[in-house]
Amino acid sequence: MKINRFSIGLVAASLPFSSLVNATTVEYWTTQTQSDRLQTIEIMADVFEALNPGIDVKVIAVDENDMPKQIAAAAAADTLPDMIEVGSDLSLAFAEEGIVDAKSSTELIQALGKDRFYAGALKLVESAALNEYVSVPYSGWVQGIWYRADWFKEAGLAPPTTWEAIEAAAKYFYKPSENQYGILVGTKADNYAEQCYTQFALSNDAGQFNSDGELIFNSSAQKEVLDFYTNLAQYNPPGPQSWRARDYYLQGKLAMFFYSSYILDDIALAEAAASSLSSENFKDLKGAAFDPDLAKNTRLATTITNKSPSSFGTLVGFTMMKNDNKEEVQATKAFIQYMNEKDQVVAYSHMAVGGHLPMLRDIAETDEFLNDPKGIFAQYGKESIKEIVAGFDSIKNFSVVDGKTFPKSGEIFAKQIIPRMIYRAAIEKEPTQTALDWAEKQMQTVITE
Amino acid sequence: MTPLERAEARFGWKLVAPTIVILGLLILYPLMYNVYLSFFDVQLNGSKIFVGLENYIKLLSNTDYYSAIATTSLYLFGTVVGTTLLGLAMALLLRDPFMGRGLVNAAIMLPYVAPVISVVFGWQFLFDPISGVVNYLFVDLLGLWSERSNLIGDPDSALWVVVLFDIWKHAPIAYLLILSKLVSISRDQYEAAAIDGYGPIGRFFHVTLPELYFVLATVVLLRLIWNLNRFEDVYLLAPNVETLPIFTYYQAFTGVIDQGLAAATSVIQLGVLSIFIWFYIKKIMKW
Amino acid sequence: MLGKKTIKGRIGFALAIVLLVSFSLLPFAQILSTSLKHQYDWGNPSLIPQSINLDAYKELLGVTEPEQVEIPAAIQKILNNPKLSEDKKQAIAAKYTANDNLFPFGKYMLNSVIFSVGAASFSLVFSVMGAYSISRLRFKGQVVIQRSVLFVYMVGGVLLMVPLYQMAMNVGLASSLWGSAFCLFLIYIVQTLPVGMYMLGNYFRGIPFALEEAAMMDGCSRKEAIIKVVLPLSLPMLATVFIYCFIIGWNEYLFASVFLKQYPEFHTLPLALQELFVSKNAIWDRIMAASMLTLAPIVICFLFASRFMKGGKTDGGVKG
Repeated sequence: MKINRFSIGLVAASLPFSSLVNATTVEYWTTQTQSDRLQTIEIMADVFEALNPGIDVKVIAVDENDMPKQIAAAAAADTLPDMIEVGSDLSLAFAEEGIVDAKSSTELIQALGKDRFYAGALKLVESAALNEYVSVPYSGWVQGIWYRADWFKEAGLAPPTTWEAIEAAAKYFYKPSENQYGILVGTKADNYAEQCYTQFALSNDAGQFNSDGELIFNSSAQKEVLDFYTNLAQYNPPGPQSWRARDYYLQGKLAMFFYSSYILDDIALAEAAASSLSSENFKDLKGAAFDPDLAKNTRLATTITNKSPSSFGTLVGFTMMKNDNKEEVQATKAFIQYMNEKDQVVAYSHMAVGGHLPMLRDIAETDEFLNDPKGIFAQYGKESIKEIVAGFDSIKNFSVVDGKTFPKSGEIFAKQIIPRMIYRAAIEKEPTQTALDWAEKQMQTVITE
Repeated sequence: MTPLERAEARFGWKLVAPTIVILGLLILYPLMYNVYLSFFDVQLNGSKIFVGLENYIKLLSNTDYYSAIATTSLYLFGTVVGTTLLGLAMALLLRDPFMGRGLVNAAIMLPYVAPVISVVFGWQFLFDPISGVVNYLFVDLLGLWSERSNLIGDPDSALWVVVLFDIWKHAPIAYLLILSKLVSISRDQYEAAAIDGYGPIGRFFHVTLPELYFVLATVVLLRLIWNLNRFEDVYLLAPNVETLPIFTYYQAFTGVIDQGLAAATSVIQLGVLSIFIWFYIKKIMKW
Repeated sequence: MLGKKTIKGRIGFALAIVLLVSFSLLPFAQILSTSLKHQYDWGNPSLIPQSINLDAYKELLGVTEPEQVEIPAAIQKILNNPKLSEDKKQAIAAKYTANDNLFPFGKYMLNSVIFSVGAASFSLVFSVMGAYSISRLRFKGQVVIQRSVLFVYMVGGVLLMVPLYQMAMNVGLASSLWGSAFCLFLIYIVQTLPVGMYMLGNYFRGIPFALEEAAMMDGCSRKEAIIKVVLPLSLPMLATVFIYCFIIGWNEYLFASVFLKQYPEFHTLPLALQELFVSKNAIWDRIMAASMLTLAPIVICFLFASRFMKGGKTDGGVKG
């Protein structure tokens, strides 16, 4: 692929490399580290290889938190993959660094049909500077508060869709002496914390940039958000927490937690574990409270409202990296086109029901997609699923304001400034204004770089 | 030099040559190369720009560096004191043969040989705020703590968990060293002390401790030397405890990568380490 | 010792032993316990599982029943592509149902074995040569070498990670799979060689010269004398050194993460375990079962080597 590779090839010439010599290799980094999902992707890649002799697709799983680091390392070593499957924020950040082949992505989107994509999804990957798309939108998920509907009902509490309702419920269910906690919001300095935080910020109209591209992060509205968030964090399980604490919900020790639509899988998993037990075993359970009706009693609230309603989701797309090898570029494009065929889109969506909502409207509305193997969509009702997906027409995040995209926002994301700010305020108990000032200063550095 | 001696010397060099080459190339040279790197702005891909003392200036004006030094000092203090005391206690307790001593010995050596990676998960689970045994024990059973806490999540308390982990893992080594000296103290000395009217505690202070003085110093120095560079035990159990090696690792391989700065921290650390090693060589090895 | 003859003393003594052993073994008990628990049982502080769950072990060891994995409809549709030949279809479908790459424990284990056994073997050979040379032969510079080895022995890996990585980068090894693996292999030798030399040097010094001289009187060359006399006498120590070096390589995480992180097919167990832990595949019973299995070879080796590690034979030469 690159000069560097070639010289290494010489060094390693004695090693059995022959199988790779003639094939064009598409190196594809995915953030789907869960092995069953990886397996599905590999199947799709295998079929593609079988249909396209001479092209090898090499699928490599990279943890999403590691992605910026690994890409930086690969860029430095000149071993970038051909395509990566990442969130739109990162696509924009990598484009800003000049390592993304936006031209090819734009051509692909044209070829697939621009009108087929949800409008909001395309906006999230549009680079105003390049006047091109930096990524081909592929799947997305929405986030929300998952909560124990049965507990809420019993307590007579309103569903957690407004700041007041969330705080009231978190406070009500926070009973540390009984080892029960009100809510889980991210307080460890990682991406999960930023995801939880962003939804609150957007519901309070507190952005990062104004439409003129000026940094307006450190505002009074933002302070309200951080104050509220820090306050909410006291009803968390003790100490810094991240998504891993979802275990506590499955054990019935948590009333609400933020999670993407991905969790559908996990709740199903808990059910599967439970079904393997006889009722006799349940009688013996003392410390462990497993509720066999957990899935039934769980609801998702996707919209949070304060000053304005906000739903938060992440869009994942295929981003092609700069590459001088024309053959590889062609092969990669062919592979992405193949992945956007209906069968592949549906298979990809079904490997994480609710986590991979398709970005092509015509496919998202078909029965093939809506009839997932576990019948989860049916439980929600197909119409409401369509509604959720259609949310991608007007999805919000920090990097888009009034139709303009700010790639710097992606870099701010990659540097994990907001998670670290949350950690300072919520865990280190730094005054919220001090934490905001710190974050603003960090963001300034990123912008002026 | 006789021909025989010359042949012996030649043979000696021949045998030791591979070792010299390997160690020279992959330890001594890198140590020097590291000093060189510390004067450059080093990228992950190997490109370098000479920056003079800038890395050192940046380092010495970085408050995080000082907090890493403070954390390391606490870590060293806690682990050295803890390991030595527990090792001594274990040696005293297990000095005399009793039934099942072999089994007890094997049990207490296990933490030392076990891979760090496989035991850290057990430790993390023990300290889990909601499901862990430690919180259950201290909050629910004993009522010593008023509320559950996330000891590993909070960096301040995590430091002490990491210290405890190191004591757990390395006290067996201290125990072995101390025990080997302890069993060599002759009975006569104790009997003489008993005749002088010393009780068990008096005998400990008048006979045992003076005899152990040297081996205890050895243990302390060895703990300092090994723990100054301790990485895996800390990083894998509680990555939020930033001792110097972890600080260096973050600089070198994560986030905003700055390998030149990492090289500078390593140089300073090597300086400190050399002092410890020098002490060890002078006072313990007596060269 | 302290008044062990009285009843009170005895009870105190027994209590202290129990406490000590529990302290040492509790984390192991926790790992074992969680590895055998069902998910609903994790929140239960008792170390005894409500019901035994062996799934994690079965999955890791690949002894799960060749379960009929049903190919989801969506994937079946992809496979039904008319352009796909029947053979290919079968082969791909078989791969899906094979289900062996959930967490390829066997592969990681093999990687770990190759790295640690390989490095330990090289290390042992070099350290026998080196240790013999510095402990039993006289030549100028011998003392300097001996002291350098001790110094080098005590320099931790952390101080070397940046320069070694940069060196590997400069010669172009760090950017290829085989190059990185080769670097790691060399590093494991370097990490274990001083230990081996130090331990063996001390041991060789204790073997009487007379034995070797007698062999040479009988017409053996020096080399033959080493092979016929010194090595057989040192067999237990050689085994100990080998196991010791093996354990160091087996347990190593730092350099594996620096050099091999981006090459999952070469991950060693510690690296694979940490990667598993941070991934969303991290289910406690699986992590704990994998930990148990990583632990097992070490425990076996240790039980074998423990009789040599007792009583200060290691003489401060113990790393860690």
